[in-house]
Amino acid sequence: MKRLIIRFFLLLFVYLVVAIPFKAMNLIPGFSDVRPVCALASIYGVFYGPLGCVVCAFGNLIADIIDDALRWSSLAGFSANFLGPFMIWYLWKRFGKHPFALRTIPDLLFHTLVIVLGAILEASIITPAVAYAYPEVNAKLFAYSVLGNTSVFPIVFGIPLAIVLQEELGFSPYTEEKLEKKPE
Amino acid sequence: MNRLQANICLICVTMCWSMEIVIYSSIPEGTPAFATTCVTSFAGSLLLLAAFFKRMLAALRKNWRSLVTGSAILALLNAMYNAMFICGVKSFDITSGAFTYCMVVVLLPVVLLSLRRRIGLETLLSVVCVGTGIVLAVGKSLQGEQLPGLALMGGGNLLRAIFIVVLADMAKKHEPLAIAIFLGFFVGIISLVVWLWEDPKLIFGLPMSRTLIASWTIYSYFIVAIAQAFNTIAMSRVTATNATLVYSLEIVFSIIWGTFLPASLITPVDLTPSVLLGAAFIILGNLMEILDIRGKRTEYESTKQEVKR
Repeated sequence: MKRLIIRFFLLLFVYLVVAIPFKAMNLIPGFSDVRPVCALASIYGVFYGPLGCVVCAFGNLIADIIDDALRWSSLAGFSANFLGPFMIWYLWKRFGKHPFALRTIPDLLFHTLVIVLGAILEASIITPAVAYAYPEVNAKLFAYSVLGNTSVFPIVFGIPLAIVLQEELGFSPYTEEKLEKKPE
Repeated sequence: MNRLQANICLICVTMCWSMEIVIYSSIPEGTPAFATTCVTSFAGSLLLLAAFFKRMLAALRKNWRSLVTGSAILALLNAMYNAMFICGVKSFDITSGAFTYCMVVVLLPVVLLSLRRRIGLETLLSVVCVGTGIVLAVGKSLQGEQLPGLALMGGGNLLRAIFIVVLADMAKKHEPLAIAIFLGFFVGIISLVVWLWEDPKLIFGLPMSRTLIASWTIYSYFIVAIAQAFNTIAMSRVTATNATLVYSLEIVFSIIWGTFLPASLITPVDLTPSVLLGAAFIILGNLMEILDIRGKRTEYESTKQEVKR
């Protein structure tokens, strides 16, 4: 348990270090900005499983608080930022032909598809909440910004980062067996 | 990491570099270019150091003299070719200037052949394809008064070719992340000297703002830390020619940004048929190299050959 808590705060720290500087690049002030930190969502999902997904949800919420952009729609953001990476992890686990590895073109295409599905899920959770609570916000633009952030960054930066982490730095993808082997 | 994965990392690096001009545009006016290079190089280097301190120590214990000297030489080469690019590119419009950066693809095989290193037939074909793309895009618009600028760009590209060959060799001998850390550190020192010469007040003479800090942080993360780390790691797995071919995609990314991003961020690209055809040849040359169509090349064949020689 202690190890999990330490890992949670360490992952949260990394998330915030990446997220906070970009809060200056607004797309829809107070609602949407350029978020390269979304690249970490797929990484956290694949390498840290549900714990990584929880970190993404809290990290996004804390970044919103720091940016003074905490709104009712942040609740939808919280759940979407948990479910997006969770979906990436779950789809690999459920439909992947082997444990996570991006060594061939089919693997890369499958991972890209999984990321796009995760992005669609996130956009379809947050957009209705924002559109309902804040009708003055351009919902279409907001949906595109969420879709862009949660698909482009995980594909463009997340995939090479996952390759480097797994192949060169010895990170192994999250599996439930991994937890069982190392009881707390 | 196999060739495909290394090439994906290199594509990501190239995309980061192509975004440099977009990030630069968000840096407040009046900030010297060397200030940005100095601060971001040190910051990126520190980020990598914090993450890979143990690896760097291990690399230093193994052969510190060769690692430090090699990184310093690389930083010096980097500063020299960048200075030549800055002077040379003024003779060209934005699109032609971007294409002249890619001349390194044509010059690198010359450097390799002069070092008596073998280049595969497929790689040579890719080089010819990319070279044709550059000539198609730049050739028509080239005028007599641009020749001195072209000579400077050629000289800069020759130095860059040497830089790439040295980096590829070093990345196969030393810990790639340690090279990235030292390279950033030495580039930071060189820029600090020039910055000090330009403005002795250094950071205290700058209009500090949230935007400047945010832009520098973004630059440090993407252009220095991530791009440099991915680049050296990938370089340890592929040949110098392979890496250079992928770098040539920078022009394709620049065309994409110039077409789709607003004029406030980047100078719009004039999409003439010759530019499009040139870009198509560059993509074709890259696909030939990356996809290994005949499937006859083993993953590290070329790399091993280069190291042996």
